[in-house]
Amino acid sequence: MSVPGHTLDRMFNPKTVAVIGDKGPNYMWLRNNQPFKDQGGNLYSVQIDEKEIPGIEELGIENFRALTDIPEPVDYAIVAVPRHVSPYVMKDLIEAKVGGAAFFTSGFAETGEELGVSLQAQLTSMAREANFNVVGPNCMGLYLPRVGVRFNPDVPVADDGRVGFVSQSGTHSIMFSLVMGANGMHLSRCASFGNAIVLDISDYLEYLTEDPETEVIAMYVEGVKDGPRFVKALRAATARKPVVVWKGGQTDAGARATMSHTGSLASPHAVWSGIMRQCGAISTNSLDETVDVAKVLLDAKPSTGRRMALMAMTGGQSVSITDAFVGQGFEVGRLSEQSYEELSSFFNIVGGSYQNPLDMAGTVQGKREVLERILGILDADESVDALVMEQSAMFGARQWKDHPERIDDLVDTLAGHAEQSAKPFLMVMHPAHEEAFVSEVRLKFAERRIPVFASFERAAAAAARALPRGTRS
Amino acid sequence: MTFTETIDRARGESRTLLSEVEAKGALAEAGVPVTATSLAQTREEAAAQAEAISYPVALKVVSPNVAHKSDVGGVVLGLESHEEVAEGYDEIIRSVQAAQPSAIIEGVSVQEMASPGVEVIVGVTTDPQFGPVMMFGLGGIMVEVLGDVAFRLAPLGEGDARDMIDEIQGRQVLDGVRGQPPVDVGAIEAMLDQVSQFAAEHPEVAELDLNPVIASPEGAIAVDARIVLAEA
Repeated sequence: MSVPGHTLDRMFNPKTVAVIGDKGPNYMWLRNNQPFKDQGGNLYSVQIDEKEIPGIEELGIENFRALTDIPEPVDYAIVAVPRHVSPYVMKDLIEAKVGGAAFFTSGFAETGEELGVSLQAQLTSMAREANFNVVGPNCMGLYLPRVGVRFNPDVPVADDGRVGFVSQSGTHSIMFSLVMGANGMHLSRCASFGNAIVLDISDYLEYLTEDPETEVIAMYVEGVKDGPRFVKALRAATARKPVVVWKGGQTDAGARATMSHTGSLASPHAVWSGIMRQCGAISTNSLDETVDVAKVLLDAKPSTGRRMALMAMTGGQSVSITDAFVGQGFEVGRLSEQSYEELSSFFNIVGGSYQNPLDMAGTVQGKREVLERILGILDADESVDALVMEQSAMFGARQWKDHPERIDDLVDTLAGHAEQSAKPFLMVMHPAHEEAFVSEVRLKFAERRIPVFASFERAAAAAARALPRGTRS
Repeated sequence: MTFTETIDRARGESRTLLSEVEAKGALAEAGVPVTATSLAQTREEAAAQAEAISYPVALKVVSPNVAHKSDVGGVVLGLESHEEVAEGYDEIIRSVQAAQPSAIIEGVSVQEMASPGVEVIVGVTTDPQFGPVMMFGLGGIMVEVLGDVAFRLAPLGEGDARDMIDEIQGRQVLDGVRGQPPVDVGAIEAMLDQVSQFAAEHPEVAELDLNPVIASPEGAIAVDARIVLAEA
């Protein structure tokens, strides 16, 4: 699926990709994009250095000495040449009518030195004049998990990505892709846009807004060049799908000359967060917050209510989960009389409690039908807007290792509930002493669309930001 | 004098800072509630103007080069009669001349005093990236120490003013604490909308402070106003 007629559509849906100037011994860009070739895409190399060509051919990739020699129309090119060569490459890219090109090449205006600045100005004017799509320079370019175009050898190839990501930082785009993958979530499309000499954040945002494969948009941004255009694009995007904006740095942090009280109070951060709220975007401040919010947006049903039913396994955890959610402005109030009546008929109150929060390990005792019964009561309770359950690895890991079917059964029970209930359901699983094991278990939850968090605080913070815009129907 | 004429005059005098009388005149013209304020250049004018406003009145020095009026004895509050106003006028002229001999004194503004209420601040500033931005906050310590303010792009859209007010951490103060009656939040919303419209229509306004605005059960009224023009 694509956005027919959009100027960025060819590069975002490539059939032919050229890597220009990749070098041994690692051939990083050719190797990163091997999956694209394996899936039937045309992957070519362009390299004039005779020393490099045998290594390229050994990878089974056809090399051309000039971009214009490639027989098919090139949809996307990755440019990794030395900076002084980049204007010659730009000329060829334009002549060959390539759909778009990412310049991994760096050493431009970001250096602040004269040569870098003037080379960047030269590339900019060439590209603008030809209306050519440039990603970067000084960037990691595009990551297109469906077709196997990648900017890193470890980011997943996957055809189920639903989150589009746009990033001013190459590192953050890779980290986000990896951490999302480790949490069982994949990207639809991703652009690391670096110096943004032609295509800027709003161009990518506009494409992802139209893109039917992108259900949630996230971005990392330090500052924008064209504020009004960004605001317009952001408003249009949030009207269609949830948008998460992870803001890094304090732009324009230097003290501004001001003769008013208002001016002196207008810190860039305060103004930015006000504008994000006004545009309907969800603000985050870190990678983890952004990943957590994505989880809720993708896999929780929406709810604007703030009344939580909290289910913990022990007394201590029931206190902590309540502290975390109340701290984020949620209410943990009384259940309905009918719920109490039903719960009292079977709940074990010795070492447990069915007030809200519930302290329920002694009642559930690993029995599926009991857990289902409790979930059913809370689901039917009209004074509950959303459910959160805690199960830490402290007790769980040992028995799940010995009896893997038990964790599968738990996941199945919860997934069945979340599927049929109209209320959001979140899971908190602290990894305790079993970090590695829990990272595997977490994927079982993710596969069945249960948002699972490593701490109460992270779950509560993500819920506070994102529950109203959950996309699961 | 219309706002366009005020701007022309200020620019003609190479000023970017408007006087309080000029700022309030512009805002009143745009429909923003401000305390009645007029410029008196003699003690007799001051007394006559005070008669036209209801007592008590406040007097403040009008000077393009006095930054903090109260620091130089340029403010007298709570005057209850014709005689007190005339004496107050003389006292301000004397104090300011003594404290700051270089002060250019254009006169004294005679001002209606607002009935008590909650002090809030309404402002406009120009963000280098995004253009005119509105600010709302509670006055006094909440702004000074806690920076408890909310910003939005101007002009405000439907619901934005309400959302700004609700974003403030000290929001409860507007609902009345310690036996105080709740203030008219709708009047603050209306003021935010009017000021945002004013800012959007006048790109010459770089910065604006209404500080304080007194909000009460009867409405919201700006007691002091400052407008800084963009460099021409």
